[in-house]
Amino acid sequence: MRPVTTGPLLEVDHLSKRYGSVVALDDVSFAITDGITGILGENGAGKSTAIKILLGLLQPTSGSARILGEIATESVAVRARVGYMPEHDCLPGQVSAAEFLTHMAEVSGIPPAAARTRAADTLRHVGLFEERYRAIGGYSTGMKQRVKLCQALVHDPAFVFLDEPTAGLDPAGREEMLALIRKTHRDFGISVLFSSHLMSDVERTCDRIIVLRGGHLVHSGEVAQFTSDTETVFIEADTNRDELVLALRRRGVLVTATGGGLTIVGPDASVYDHVRDALVEAQAPLRRMAPRRRELAELFEGEPT
Amino acid sequence: MTGTVFDIGYQGYTGQREGRGRGRAAVYKDGVRAALGLGRGGRAKVLPWFFISVLTAIALVMAIVAGAANLLGGPGTAAKANLPSHSDYYGIASVIMFVFAALVAPELLCRDRRDGVINLYLVRPLTGTDYVAARWLAFLTIMLGAAWLPQFILFLGLSMGDPAPMSYLATHWLDIPRFLLAGLAMAAYATTLAMLTASFTTRRAYASVFLVGLFVITVPFTVGVADEIGGKAGQWISMFNLTNIPVHVNDLIFGQVSDVTEDAPARLLPAWIRVAWLIAWTIIPGTVLWGRYRRLTP
Repeated sequence: MRPVTTGPLLEVDHLSKRYGSVVALDDVSFAITDGITGILGENGAGKSTAIKILLGLLQPTSGSARILGEIATESVAVRARVGYMPEHDCLPGQVSAAEFLTHMAEVSGIPPAAARTRAADTLRHVGLFEERYRAIGGYSTGMKQRVKLCQALVHDPAFVFLDEPTAGLDPAGREEMLALIRKTHRDFGISVLFSSHLMSDVERTCDRIIVLRGGHLVHSGEVAQFTSDTETVFIEADTNRDELVLALRRRGVLVTATGGGLTIVGPDASVYDHVRDALVEAQAPLRRMAPRRRELAELFEGEPT
Repeated sequence: MTGTVFDIGYQGYTGQREGRGRGRAAVYKDGVRAALGLGRGGRAKVLPWFFISVLTAIALVMAIVAGAANLLGGPGTAAKANLPSHSDYYGIASVIMFVFAALVAPELLCRDRRDGVINLYLVRPLTGTDYVAARWLAFLTIMLGAAWLPQFILFLGLSMGDPAPMSYLATHWLDIPRFLLAGLAMAAYATTLAMLTASFTTRRAYASVFLVGLFVITVPFTVGVADEIGGKAGQWISMFNLTNIPVHVNDLIFGQVSDVTEDAPARLLPAWIRVAWLIAWTIIPGTVLWGRYRRLTP
């Protein structure tokens, strides 16, 4: 059985990282327990820096990062129980997936015979068993992403970091990858920290979410709470848009004009009643009304909390 | 009879985890396999095995010629005719060994960085030092094989070609530790220089061309300038002939000047300088190589 770790699998306490005058992470604290956690942020938000510190590859300027109960930067050995799938290319083209994964399992400390078995098993679980003796260079992008996931799982880690796992995939490939990530936790019992800049991927896959912006922690909590916090309603009326805005504001609804329509921020259960009444009052013919999420960029326009 | 296949689902790993030691051994093993093209396509095998064959063929030819001389001219003819033997082999083969190192060593470092595989090593229970040390040792092993195997073949050939093989063994057994030591010096030197050059580029071809150019250019340049200047300065300039550096030490180990170095002014420098020069040309590039990988992060 995998060693049981009591308490958080991963714990970040007042973590800061500066590169000269550039602040990559500023006093960030969060803890992750068993499950799938999404780390969301735009490019340069500090996601990769946080992951590198958690893998023990970067020394923080201040604060601490613990993974599986050990201080990340002080323990090389803990990486035997951690997996990492990088965003960028990391596969050799000239060797077969079976050979490559066997090698990676050995590098993580698994004896050779067991490494061969683990490589074949892991490839079977991601649907590449039949292709395992083909050179990786001949694989499609989706197959390569699955090999990348396999190398992160082949040594049966307790925790795995996935950096932008759906990057570069077509819609079908993206769905397959998200299903594999869910399977990684549900069937394999491996906890996941999954970085992305796609809110929809994180919402559909993760139990919890961490949002970073400019090195600051913007949000940390359950995905359901985050979803309700970021939900909006989009309305498009044929005419009398200004009157509709006034009618909504009189009812205490927070509304902003966006492009050709109106966006209601932070809707509650009564908002649809208010919209109905305001449409009647303003005599505005409704063309379209639909729930939406705020865009990631829009979410980050507010001040960090 | 029909069988039923059950999918027992994902099985966690409950066996032994051998930690960093296993990781180092895996990187070493992979380095040896990569250098020899094992587990790769046919093209990856061409270069290493071609050079190993050429190096072995040289030793075979030397053994056959010596054997034939003894057979035709009577016992001791090969020695009397001063035909090339163990002390001359590294001098004859040095350029081929350096070209072999230049073409094959970059395979162990450049490809990992170009493909991004290095990022996967560094997030496992390995440090940059572990990685580069394992790769260096892997190529050193290949170079030792390329240096020692032909010498052993030559030794066997000369023993069997001699009319009194046991007498030959009794007289020449000291050649074995000599060629082992000289081969180690040559392999460590060539491995370190080749690996250091490879650490500066992700393109194997660039590293190979630079190294071959470096070895080829320093030979005529140092020979010409050393002859022109002469004296102590000429001897020191002659020391910058990169192909001769380990051959000078080979000469000291065997106590004979080889054909390659007999005209080199550097052979007149004190023995300790020639040994220290080889050590410096191995230790300093090795330290720079280690420094480049020590703090490497993905």
